[in-house]
Amino acid sequence: MSVKFSKVFFTYSPKSPFEYEALRDINLDLESGKFIALVGKTGSGKSTLVQHINSLIHPTSGTIDIDGFINSSVKKERTKDIKGLRKHVGLVFQFPEYQLFEETVERDVAFGPKNVGMKEAEAIEKAHWALEKVGLGKSFFERSPFELSGGEKRKVAIAGILAMEPKILVVDEPTAGLDPAAAKDTMSLFKKINEEGTTVILVTHDMDLVASYCDEVVVMENGKVEAQCSPSKLFGRDLSEYSLQNPHIFDFALRLKKRGIDLDMSSIRTTEDLAKAIAKRCKHG
Amino acid sequence: MASLTIGRYVPYNSFIHKMDPRAKLFALIVLMVAIFLPYPTYVMSFTIQGVIFLFGVFLLWRSHVSFFRVLKSLAALWIMVIFILIIYVLVPRTTNYPAFDINGFVIYWDSILEAARILLRLVLMIVLSMVLTSSTKPLDLTAALEWYLYPLKLIGFPSHIVAMIISLALRFIPTILDDVERIMKAQSSRGVDFENGHLGTKIKAIVSLIIPLFVSSFIRSDELANAMECRGYDPNAKRTRYRKLHFRAVDFVETFVVLAIFAGCLTLSIMQLDAYNAIWGITTL
Repeated sequence: MSVKFSKVFFTYSPKSPFEYEALRDINLDLESGKFIALVGKTGSGKSTLVQHINSLIHPTSGTIDIDGFINSSVKKERTKDIKGLRKHVGLVFQFPEYQLFEETVERDVAFGPKNVGMKEAEAIEKAHWALEKVGLGKSFFERSPFELSGGEKRKVAIAGILAMEPKILVVDEPTAGLDPAAAKDTMSLFKKINEEGTTVILVTHDMDLVASYCDEVVVMENGKVEAQCSPSKLFGRDLSEYSLQNPHIFDFALRLKKRGIDLDMSSIRTTEDLAKAIAKRCKHG
Repeated sequence: MASLTIGRYVPYNSFIHKMDPRAKLFALIVLMVAIFLPYPTYVMSFTIQGVIFLFGVFLLWRSHVSFFRVLKSLAALWIMVIFILIIYVLVPRTTNYPAFDINGFVIYWDSILEAARILLRLVLMIVLSMVLTSSTKPLDLTAALEWYLYPLKLIGFPSHIVAMIISLALRFIPTILDDVERIMKAQSSRGVDFENGHLGTKIKAIVSLIIPLFVSSFIRSDELANAMECRGYDPNAKRTRYRKLHFRAVDFVETFVVLAIFAGCLTLSIMQLDAYNAIWGITTL
């Protein structure tokens, strides 16, 4: 079970003055159950890539196999069960709060499940479950989504995708514009979902998030995949060629190393881990 | 999506693109009037429409608009075609040439020809306005409009404010189209099917698009108004332009050609001259 890209090319507005090649020869295997980060600077093709996983756009050439659902440049080969695919892969867009439209929060969250064929009562039940999961209690169910704060709206939008119980969850810049506390909540939610068996694919610029949460990182540059490895392996390298920055903790460790304090970074993911490692080092002299 | 982008400005380097927007706007209006003038017989109407159509095709070719795009926009008119046909079959006719007899219900040539005339007018309107909008930047178009509205200032008409409103509206068309695409994708990944399904589900699909679109448009306009005020926008202040319009030789030639065509059409119309009868002595419908 995996998401497999083979020889995928994608061009926006082909044969017009707006022609733009967004993906060039993507060959990628994203294993199930992992927490995968997709990083790269703006315009490197990250968002275009993830839209292929949901068959929202079709490649100009090549195929993508999403756990048996096929998205291909050839119409005949594409999966007929598009609703099945949309249920299987949940895609949370950047600023998802702009997709809310229903009168009440619970109905908005139940919209997705109903679309993929759940009965009304079951969908509402799923909506309640998803809302509790993102931390919005009963008091929110009957409120209008438009009177909520920005962070709460985003939680509702994320719940709207979670309620469909996707096996693969793709999130595009989920923490953009959120305050640090809300960002942390959101990320721990995704971590929890991942631990319960869902593949999570996180599109981001934020290397600190990658260091703290992800098992694997895919680096994109100019529509190509430049690297696919574990975060600690990536952060050992110079990232400036991809216009990316090392996470703060790795930066800090690098400076310590220059002063003669060499720490083993392979198991360090968060600031707490780093602090512990330094403390340990101090004790042992 | 493609159907929404019909008539969008496409940057090319043709002489039509380089022409003064005032000349182009004038030509469009004059030719449209010529299309809508009453001519004595159907054959005369079709001849004149044919001439203008050929002229329009020439302009399309020179301004690099593919004829395919025109056909695509016409495909969207099929409901209108059926509607016009039904109306004209039912309205009383002036001449008495039966075309078909369906079990005693007679359809006259008049009805068919009148419907054809109206349709041709629509086609011509689309062709001509497409040449204008795909070869002229929206901002240039507003500048032309403002220039034409300028004399109305004498009677206290706020032409510069109207021009600002129009240019803002035009400025936001691509932005809103991008919004439409974004929201459609977001809702599609929640299982909405915008293409198939019966009326009820289709209405629901459209609602899930329209409401978020309204919300984001209102937010955008609010932000824009604030941004303009912050930069000291005063609707009544005298405004200067960065880009000045220049009337060149090619614009004079084009205006002359268009006026010549218009003069011919006007003469034929006012004198109710049936050229076929006058020259060759043929009586036509």
